[in-house]
Amino acid sequence: MTTAPITTAPAARRRPTGRIVLHICLIAMLLVMLYPLAWLLATSFKPADEVIASLKLLPSHFEWGNYSTALDGVNEVSVGRLLWNSLLIACGAVLGNVISCSLAAYAFARLRFRMRGPLFAFMIATIMLPHHAILIPQYIIFNQLGMVNTYWPMILPKFLATDAFFVFLIVQFMRGLPRELEEAARIDGCGPFRSFFSVILPLTRPALITTAIFTFIWTWNDFFTQLIYLFEPEKFTLTLALRSFVDASSQSAFGPMFAMSVFALLPIVLFFLAFQRFLVEGMASSGLKG
Amino acid sequence: MRGNRTTTSCALALVLTLAGTLTGCGGDGGGGSGGKVSLRFTWWGNPDRAARTEEAVKLFEQRHPDIDIATSFAGFDTYKAKLATQAAGGDAPDVMQLDYRQINQYATSGILLDLGEHPELRTSEIDKGLLATGVVDGRQYALPVARGTETVAYDAALWHKAGVPEPTLTWTWNDWADAMRKLSASKATQGRVGSTDPGQSEDVFEIWLRSRGKALYTKDEKLGFTADDLTRYWEWCTKLRKEGAVVPAEQTTQMDGTVENTPLGRLKSVSDFNWDAPTSGYAPIVGEGLKLAPLPVGEDGTPGQYFKPSMFFGASAETAHPKQAAQFIDFLLNDKKAGAILGATRGIPANDAIRQDVLPKLEGFDQVISTYQKQFEGKLKDPPPAPPKGDASLQSTFSRDYDQVAYERMSPREAAENYITEAKAELRQ
Amino acid sequence: MTATATRPPDAAPPATGGKRAAKRERQGAAWVFLSPWVLGAAVLTLLPMAVSLYLSFTDYDMFDAPRWIGFRNYTQMFTEDPRYWRSVITTLTYVVIAVPLQLLLALAVAIALKSVKRGKGFYRSAFYAPSLLGASMSIALVWRAIFNDGGSVDNLLSGMGIDIGGWINKPGWAILSVALLTIWQFGAPMVIFLAGLQQIPAELYEAAAVDGASWWRQFRSITIPMLSPVLFFNLVLQMIQAFQVFTPAFAVSAGKGGPADSTLVYTLYLYDRGFTASHMGYASAMAWALLLAIGVVTAVLFRTSRAWVFYANDNNEGAR
Repeated sequence: MTTAPITTAPAARRRPTGRIVLHICLIAMLLVMLYPLAWLLATSFKPADEVIASLKLLPSHFEWGNYSTALDGVNEVSVGRLLWNSLLIACGAVLGNVISCSLAAYAFARLRFRMRGPLFAFMIATIMLPHHAILIPQYIIFNQLGMVNTYWPMILPKFLATDAFFVFLIVQFMRGLPRELEEAARIDGCGPFRSFFSVILPLTRPALITTAIFTFIWTWNDFFTQLIYLFEPEKFTLTLALRSFVDASSQSAFGPMFAMSVFALLPIVLFFLAFQRFLVEGMASSGLKG
Repeated sequence: MRGNRTTTSCALALVLTLAGTLTGCGGDGGGGSGGKVSLRFTWWGNPDRAARTEEAVKLFEQRHPDIDIATSFAGFDTYKAKLATQAAGGDAPDVMQLDYRQINQYATSGILLDLGEHPELRTSEIDKGLLATGVVDGRQYALPVARGTETVAYDAALWHKAGVPEPTLTWTWNDWADAMRKLSASKATQGRVGSTDPGQSEDVFEIWLRSRGKALYTKDEKLGFTADDLTRYWEWCTKLRKEGAVVPAEQTTQMDGTVENTPLGRLKSVSDFNWDAPTSGYAPIVGEGLKLAPLPVGEDGTPGQYFKPSMFFGASAETAHPKQAAQFIDFLLNDKKAGAILGATRGIPANDAIRQDVLPKLEGFDQVISTYQKQFEGKLKDPPPAPPKGDASLQSTFSRDYDQVAYERMSPREAAENYITEAKAELRQ
Repeated sequence: MTATATRPPDAAPPATGGKRAAKRERQGAAWVFLSPWVLGAAVLTLLPMAVSLYLSFTDYDMFDAPRWIGFRNYTQMFTEDPRYWRSVITTLTYVVIAVPLQLLLALAVAIALKSVKRGKGFYRSAFYAPSLLGASMSIALVWRAIFNDGGSVDNLLSGMGIDIGGWINKPGWAILSVALLTIWQFGAPMVIFLAGLQQIPAELYEAAAVDGASWWRQFRSITIPMLSPVLFFNLVLQMIQAFQVFTPAFAVSAGKGGPADSTLVYTLYLYDRGFTASHMGYASAMAWALLLAIGVVTAVLFRTSRAWVFYANDNNEGAR
């Protein structure tokens, strides 16, 4: 399983015309799929009276003011600061998830211990409870720990492997690795820790990258947790600042909100572009199957 | 009453303390460092309000170098969920902006400080009728910041073209309905209909009720109307909707609270019911013709309209620095300089003296709003007391039940009875 | 990816005689590896879950102390709340539409991308792009504009002679526009399918080609069975997430679940009860009912998986 052959799918061996048809289909589909994104981009240039009322894609004239308003920041906090805060939380979460989920996954996938079955089942069950139901008890805990209005409520849970989705994902990857690897390591005198760090972890890299990418994107977009726990505007994130352009009880600034959305999208796009290569090629060289 | 919530959070905390690392109940309440008192202040609003609030806060900090104010804000909908979570978690901010509908719940659950006990906080310049809306069980738990009133915002230019006479101070509900029919029928409005459907708005219903001598709630916190009243209102709205005088359900359902997503904001109607403060949002969309009219009165001339406190300031019962919190609220409400900085960003000020100072300096559409309010001075009845606890979700229940009527899934009678049942359950009657 | 998720995989072979020390060391090691998870699960998951289970038997308005009322919340939910059952039906409709369509689309694109040689990275990124967005307020406004009366979709369909009007304000159609938002963001399952496809040994296709098997034949006899574990994994996780759908419905309906409650999905109603109406006890009861329902559905899926999920290197799992 470690060296899965690079395969050629049946379609790839068809005639060149077939391949051209395939490209045409894919591009046609992409045009449909990317249309809402074009809309998002176009709206960020629309003047105030067209943002909601107009159902046309293109603005009547390009309103650059939306961007300058958005880039002024919110509540005297600069966009740079908001960006930095978002990055801090997202990177902290990525680090936490990658470390803690791989540790837990290794125990579940490769080690024997009592209560393993029930604990594993419990872990899977935690994916099934809607998180709104445990929001208030969690808030009370973080409040008692004095962590409200800090980034800990967003980062600490990741270091404690509470994202069972990723533990499960990495478990599934690790199960695909041949057992002989550890046997050999053990004969060489490696304990579980050495074989985890030197043998298993490097081979699980693709799963870790998947975890990193999904965690980054999901944390970046996670509005509700940030809303509940962050108090001072200096600690706000881009995602949170986005919402402050819209308020039902007074005048809203939809144009700048769209401009800010486009801006907030850039870092995740860059993050994805930088790592997407490893995502699939990496997975192919390891095992996803059990 | 006051102990209840503390007991809750202590009880929960006790369960949670099993982990061992948790500290005692209550937290430090924002103690501050280096002898400085620090207060947390939260409110809802938009970036403009944020900029002005920040400026006022800086002035306060200059005058009180020993007090440090940390401010925070969010949009209204998210603010409500956030504040409720904080309050439930025993972590309410020291000073908070509150909605009319939150006062009763927060006061009776012991979250709010009795501000009447703090002489630092002067109330002499605040309108007496408005002041009373912040009183629960005889205690002044919150102080009104500003006042607002309902209005019919309309595109006067189009009304002229359609040949419909502009509203007067004494137009009745029938006059209003006739005007809407004419506007919808006129070619000048180019397919746009007269108005937003008032059936989805509990606020408009309240004014309609008051103009018939009734109220949403009685003094002893019971429902002030019957299923018959509501049926009658919704049947009237349904008739207008079917005649095409007001927008169809497909438009009503798209309203999300922002002015941009109302039928008038989307250029689907030529008038809209709204509170006066947000109407400035119509200005860039509707243009020059935008005007404000009073709400219709009852057939016997009874006005339903009233000055409503658009928001309040309150302090947390558990604040470590009640004196400083009271000082800060006093500054925001009564200080002339603060008043000049804040202007009308939270609505036309409830403080009479500040209002006199601020009004002439208002710019743009705020000037229109203040003129609009001025014509009612001394003519309106006192506002009702703060809505009873349990009312929090009834506003959305109201529009949801009417949604069923508008999409013809329920008759007005069925929906009205449904609403009354739900309302009674919420109010624990 | 195997289907035996509910029970842990068999790990190391049984310790042989004389290796008890090593076994004990591994026992201890396991707990060291697990310690962050154990702490997190106990403090941040189990405790809050226990509290929410307790609250589900109380009348709790978030402000005053919870009052024990036994099964009252549950009986009210099941017997007296028509809106609850409407939200159940709405959610089931959503699950039935969104899950299969999203998986099919993700699978189709993944298979197509596998045959592509040029521009693979570009396609992958472009198809993933919508998934980067989540369901923010701006994408919600875009969605409402596109699916509105006179919006792009309406115009397109009218041009083809189909006159539906706006989807977001038609009770039968609004949930479909919500589902389409989810389906549109098929990036995550697509990536997992791509990885699964890479695993299928090329020799199988080569042998089939020698036998003269058609593309369809190869797809049915090789691709689908070999991919079934990954398909199953995606199915289970997308199903769990679909039952908990919140953000797209919240965004598209501006938090209201309209028109006429047609997008009031389960967790949106739960949120409404808990945070808007301050009935946290009732909301907790709803959460636990949902947990049990998802648990049952997942268990059923695992049962049926034995019939159709095929394990290639199945040496110690025993599932067949």
